[in-house]
Amino acid sequence: MGSAAALPQELLRLQGEGEQQGREEVFPYPEISNEELEEINQFVGPVEKFFSEEVDSKKIDQDAKIPPETLKGLKNLGLFGMQIPEEYGGLGLSNTMYARLGEIISLDGSVAVTLAAHQAIGLKGILIAGTDEQKAKYLPKLASGEHIAAFCLTEPGSGSDAASIQTRATMSEDGKSFLLNGSKIWISNGGLADIFTVFARTEIVDNDGAKKDKITAFIVERAFGGVTNGKPEDKLGIRGSNTCEVHFENTKVPVENVIGEVGGGFKVAMNILNSGRFSMGSASAGMIKKLIEMTAEYACTRKQFNKKLSDFGLIQEKFTLMAVKAYVMESMAYLTAGMMDRPGVPDCSVEAAMVKVFSSEGAWICVSEALQVLGGLGYMKDYPYERYLRDSRVLLIFEGTNEILRMYIALTGMQYAGRILTGKIKEMKKGNVGVALEIFVNKFRDSMGRKVDLGLVGKDGVAHPSLEESSKKLEENIYYFGTTVEGLLRRFGKTIVDEQLVLKRVADVSINLYAMTAAISRASRSISIGLRNHDHEVLLTNIFCTEAYFKNNYAMAELEKYAAENLDDSIKKVAQQVLEKRAYICSHPLERTF
Amino acid sequence: MNGVRNLLRARELSAGRGVLRQALLGRDRPWLQGSSCAQSFWLVPVRSIRSSAALSHSELVHSARGDKEKDRGFRDGSLVPFDELFERAHEGDRNKAAFSRAVELFCQRDVRRRGHIEFINAALRKMPEFGVERDLDVYNKILDVFPKEVFVPRNFIQRMFNHYPRQQECGIHVLEQMENYGIMPNKQTKFLLLQIFGEKSHPIRKYQRLLYWFPKFKHINPYPVPAALPQDPVDLARISLQRIAADLSAKVTVYQLPLTDISDAGKEITQLHIVGIQSPDQQELLARHNPSRPVFVEGPFPLWLKKTCVYYYVLRGEPLPPEEKEEVIDSERNFYYPMHLDLDLDRDLWDDEEFYVDEVVEGPIFAMCMAGAGDQATLAKWILGLQQTNPILSQTPVVFHLTPGPRELQAASDSESGEEEIPQSWHMKQEL
Repeated sequence: MGSAAALPQELLRLQGEGEQQGREEVFPYPEISNEELEEINQFVGPVEKFFSEEVDSKKIDQDAKIPPETLKGLKNLGLFGMQIPEEYGGLGLSNTMYARLGEIISLDGSVAVTLAAHQAIGLKGILIAGTDEQKAKYLPKLASGEHIAAFCLTEPGSGSDAASIQTRATMSEDGKSFLLNGSKIWISNGGLADIFTVFARTEIVDNDGAKKDKITAFIVERAFGGVTNGKPEDKLGIRGSNTCEVHFENTKVPVENVIGEVGGGFKVAMNILNSGRFSMGSASAGMIKKLIEMTAEYACTRKQFNKKLSDFGLIQEKFTLMAVKAYVMESMAYLTAGMMDRPGVPDCSVEAAMVKVFSSEGAWICVSEALQVLGGLGYMKDYPYERYLRDSRVLLIFEGTNEILRMYIALTGMQYAGRILTGKIKEMKKGNVGVALEIFVNKFRDSMGRKVDLGLVGKDGVAHPSLEESSKKLEENIYYFGTTVEGLLRRFGKTIVDEQLVLKRVADVSINLYAMTAAISRASRSISIGLRNHDHEVLLTNIFCTEAYFKNNYAMAELEKYAAENLDDSIKKVAQQVLEKRAYICSHPLERTF
Repeated sequence: MNGVRNLLRARELSAGRGVLRQALLGRDRPWLQGSSCAQSFWLVPVRSIRSSAALSHSELVHSARGDKEKDRGFRDGSLVPFDELFERAHEGDRNKAAFSRAVELFCQRDVRRRGHIEFINAALRKMPEFGVERDLDVYNKILDVFPKEVFVPRNFIQRMFNHYPRQQECGIHVLEQMENYGIMPNKQTKFLLLQIFGEKSHPIRKYQRLLYWFPKFKHINPYPVPAALPQDPVDLARISLQRIAADLSAKVTVYQLPLTDISDAGKEITQLHIVGIQSPDQQELLARHNPSRPVFVEGPFPLWLKKTCVYYYVLRGEPLPPEEKEEVIDSERNFYYPMHLDLDLDRDLWDDEEFYVDEVVEGPIFAMCMAGAGDQATLAKWILGLQQTNPILSQTPVVFHLTPGPRELQAASDSESGEEEIPQSWHMKQEL
């Protein structure tokens, strides 16, 4: 396990094996070199200037179109090829640097989505699974922005289910090309793109001679012919980004344009989707930081009852909430980016998913609270706040809905924990008195109030002593989460796949644990090297960790209970009754029977 | 000697009210008459004398009226004299107006409403004939026949004992009939009952019980049948099939409309209705069915909708052999998260709360239908229609397992809509 995912890592640590390694992944907080820092700062200046001066977000939102001159400016800044290696004409940014620029780009949702659809998923297939020829052929033009890329996976009847993809690629008789037929919907950049990464069904002959349908990824140029697109969809938010249907009709795709192997499209799709998510953390944080500036300005100038808004406790609370969320998001995003930048090909897909879930939900709450600070003003179209609200709503939906990602986070963790714990649980179930006794003794010691020490603080500790309280809370949570997960595996085994309400709690606790870890790690570093306002960071970290600690304890207490006690049964029953009638079934309060 | 015997006799009688009544009313008991009576009067304990006196009063009144009724009964020459009133009241239709007229006729005839109990009993009996058995107004009108305030107890003793028992019973009868037809009494009913019988009388208690239980049971049936069933067999089939299918996605298809036509040759052609239902789930099940295995058309099975019985047919397959039941999930199915875990651990006993009621041993049901006739030719048309939406059916052998039984029963009793006579007791249960 070159790079243990955070949840497994916590479990690993719990098991006492690889303790050092797990800790080293996240402590100390990853840093970049001074040269890299200078380099990124060189980019940040012009990009910030461009976004504040040249990008008219209001107009983009109204016209539902990014004007060509804005696109041209983005291309000139090299923002269409941020992660494409320099040899292909891109900027060759590391994940950390990409995340940093993402903070600024996110100031306009439409531009951010256009750029992300282009490079985070659109051309990612070529980048991670393409051949050298494919890279040489396509990447330079994509990096310069001469060509725009789009990612075509979703179909009218297929979201996350690979089996229901209907687009089909049939091999021509000479075996040199495929004929592509089918429709894709909700394709970001669908109307602008020249290069499409398309997933289609192909017939594969198995090793044993049986024919089978498998998914294959293709690079499709608009120039191949037969590519048409529908009119741009009218959306709630990110209105300036282009989203439309794309149809392929007898599009001839040469065999060289298959990404990876024929029939290997599923893995390609999964890798693209998994790698594209981490940047949402820094993007959301960037947006919230901007929002804090704008709303603080208002709160400190508007007076009511001879008092500034900023003097009211309920308004102050909202700013604290925004600051805490932004801080934790940032910490998670850059920790993950830093881990991804480590040598080798670290798999940080679970961490990236956690960042995505946490930051998208955080962004939605923060935007809503910012709007609340402004009162009626926030609701008006004359001000940008309602646009932020509309734009941020999509974060919870695209790149895998948060519900789906929670399943991914929980199940990946469960799979990992299961691999370690299966032997022990089976022994116990077989009636091995030794193991059973050990579990019983552990339970007894837990109930007597055990002191958990995983070595985060104290002698040889990695967290700063100022964060001792928070670290202790994290340690305790991690320890009990381990026992909870073990209990869940014992109870549900592999059938836990169907226990979505249980998995949701597991995912929530995991996300909180990762967030606590990231915040503590970052704050420790800040204190240690004496960054400006590090005492503020300590405050934010302590607030977050305390809140998360109670939430985790509550979730874990629920997890230990049976379905009848933690309301899961009732929740399912209500849903069942409502869905059976497909309506709200209560009688109207004014209804009477006599 | 005679005096002593009479005295003993009187004492015995004072013990029980019923017997005493007999004694007091008995005109055929010569030993109570005569001078010895006075003697016994003095010797019997005072309390029982008083109560017997009170009783004797009411019972005497009662018996007197009873006699009069009997007299009139003889005069009319019929045991149920008021039937005639209803016969006279309706000139044309038997409807609510005619019924009300009859009630008014009775009320106008006599200010004292003599014979109201008999009249009310007759009216209750006649209600279904006039089609007003579910009309609350009519029930209130019937209750209005009772003389007001006469039967209200005036002191605690009256209240303690069954004051005017026959009248109270009659009031309860009215409420019971309402209960049986599921009619909820209203404020006016209560007002009338209070006026007639007073608070805490038996009819008022009955009213309170009705008011307590009726609202509770009004919506107890989660699958209510509409109050009036459609007469059109196609519509009836539609609601029946939707009722059985219990799936909002299920689609009803009318394969053939009922039709009677005269062909060119002058021959009458009758076409019977065929209405089928199939849900998308069933369609999918059928699509996955192995065509080498036959499917079966079975029926008819009865379905009762209140008083109506309809019959339906099902298309079903055989239960799957266990080795085909297991569905293998492709590991490359979900782009976002694993659909199954690679673990060697099963669910613990305590969390295993599932049992399947939908998975029946008869095997999967693919579709259902209702048809005007249950012969193979008609049902084959249904299968033919199903083939349009389920192509696999044309490659699958279809076996008809039809039982003739209930068809004949239906033919014997009634025509298309299948109205059947049901025993009265069962009938009542339905109404509730």
